[in-house]
Amino acid sequence: MEKQSYMPVPPGVGMEENFLSLDDILLSHEKLPCTTETAFPRLGFLEKSSDARDIPEGVKMEMPLWLVKGLYEHKRRTLSVQLPKVYRQGWRTVFGADPTVVDLHKMGPYYYGLGSQLLHFDSPENTEIAQTVLQTFIGRFRRTMDSSQNAYNEDTSLLVERLDGLERALFQAGQSGLNDFQRWEKGHSSHLTASSLVLNYRKRKITEVQE
Amino acid sequence: MDPSEVEFLAEKEMVTIISNFSLDKMYLIGGDLGPFNPGLPVNVPLWLALNLKQRQKCRIVPPEWMDVEKLEEIREQERKEETFTPIPNPHYMELTKLLLNHASDNIPKADEIRTLVKDIWDTRVAKLRLSADSFISQLEAHAKLDNLTLMEINTTRTFLLDSLNSMYKLRASLQPQPAAKGHHY
Amino acid sequence: MADAFSEASDRSEDDSQDVMTPAELIAKLEQAWLNEKFSPELMESKSEIVECVMEQLTHMEGNLQRVRKGDIKASIHRMEIDRIRFVLSSYLRSRLRKIEKYFPHILEKEKSRAEGDPSFLSPEEFAFAKEYLANTESYLKTVALRHMPPNLQTVDMLKAVPKPCLDSFVFLRVHERQENILVEPETDEQREYAIDLEEGSQHLMRYSTIAPLVASGAVQLI
Repeated sequence: MEKQSYMPVPPGVGMEENFLSLDDILLSHEKLPCTTETAFPRLGFLEKSSDARDIPEGVKMEMPLWLVKGLYEHKRRTLSVQLPKVYRQGWRTVFGADPTVVDLHKMGPYYYGLGSQLLHFDSPENTEIAQTVLQTFIGRFRRTMDSSQNAYNEDTSLLVERLDGLERALFQAGQSGLNDFQRWEKGHSSHLTASSLVLNYRKRKITEVQE
Repeated sequence: MDPSEVEFLAEKEMVTIISNFSLDKMYLIGGDLGPFNPGLPVNVPLWLALNLKQRQKCRIVPPEWMDVEKLEEIREQERKEETFTPIPNPHYMELTKLLLNHASDNIPKADEIRTLVKDIWDTRVAKLRLSADSFISQLEAHAKLDNLTLMEINTTRTFLLDSLNSMYKLRASLQPQPAAKGHHY
Repeated sequence: MADAFSEASDRSEDDSQDVMTPAELIAKLEQAWLNEKFSPELMESKSEIVECVMEQLTHMEGNLQRVRKGDIKASIHRMEIDRIRFVLSSYLRSRLRKIEKYFPHILEKEKSRAEGDPSFLSPEEFAFAKEYLANTESYLKTVALRHMPPNLQTVDMLKAVPKPCLDSFVFLRVHERQENILVEPETDEQREYAIDLEEGSQHLMRYSTIAPLVASGAVQLI
């Protein structure tokens, strides 16, 4: 009945992070535009565009979220964080007009996760960012729900193509609810089936014998 | 919850059967049953009724509501009202499936009943989605869901609850942040 | 024949007053099963119910030993036993799953439990949780941590494993009428408001609001 034999750790969502969540680990590798506010001696190798030994103060560069978070929490301010463009005023207006038209996979795929994580960096636009992220989720909810609850036995790759990672997970939850019900209705849920592992194993045995 | 577990709970519903055997009163852990006399009606849980039926030891009397006219009325009512109308049995969907699959010869107009129940189900599930959407977009904190059945809740449970929880966490980031830890400028 | 099976229900009737009938016992087990399935946190262990149900089952199975195969009565009893066993093991399994999911927090709660307060875990579950923690720690050590620099060789399990989210929404049905349940607002514009929970009504709301009512049995998660 329960199909999952192990416990995947879900993403933390919002400002929380789950240490052992694969989604959150991938999220922590998203790049953020930063400006150094101090020199970083002997770390020149991190900055691909120059051969210098040191990173001087005032250099604009991209760093992964995990590194930025680590450096930002340091006692002395060592860098400032700029907003990726999808969270800036221009895009916030687009989201405000119609959140459903945006391809959040292309713009993300961790639009909600990264948006919430940005709030750690004390941007003066924090309130607007948080508001837009929440309203975007709400504005797109109906679409996520309808597509996940109406598609049965069809290729769903087109439906999820433009969804953010969080929305995809919800889409899957909706799909499995629907599929479980349809399977029950058709009377398939009471049948035990051999796992594909066993079936493949048998197939391999047969081909081995034939050779 | 798996739908088969909801079905399991539905199997506790009592139905009337007419047995073709006799048996003294039985003392089950969950309560007393019988006595069984050939030709006389007796109430038993659905799980037992279905088992006896499969062994050709009884005929099942369809529940009162499992009737074309009554269901048509319910269907009209359900389509007319915006809210969920009271349904004659909290497990109407499971009972219909089980009885029609295993005892259709005891149920007059079985095919019509199947269609009617499916219509009622579809109308209710559409309403459920509508209310889920407004619950989310209005950021409600509480909803009254009388008359909603367990099977109906179950089809959307994970999706709706996961969505609400994600939204809660996104919303939590809106609250003014407690003074950031470890910042000394 | 009839006598062999009549005992189960007879026995409870002449027991002390506050003892449940077997039917009530099974109803309690099913209640605990659904609550455990749907509550975000581990509920208090219902070891007593589990033991009583086991006793009923063993007793009934004992009686069935003496009955010849193919007897219709015996087959009905067997079916009932199988159904009860299913609920029982599903209940215990959903507890184990939660223990695996939240073990550091569950063990922490157990540690801080005041002397004399009932434990949330049965002795077996407590042993399981401790072993699960030890195994997880030694696994992480073997595959990764021992290859790390010395100052990075520990993982704080309390921080690494997410806590149960008590603010999760749940579906519930009311068994005993409740007045003035405060619903916290979702946004700053909304106000806190109070609702009455009528007997038999169903609701969707945060678990944290009604957690004590689930524990007391006044409401049932569905």
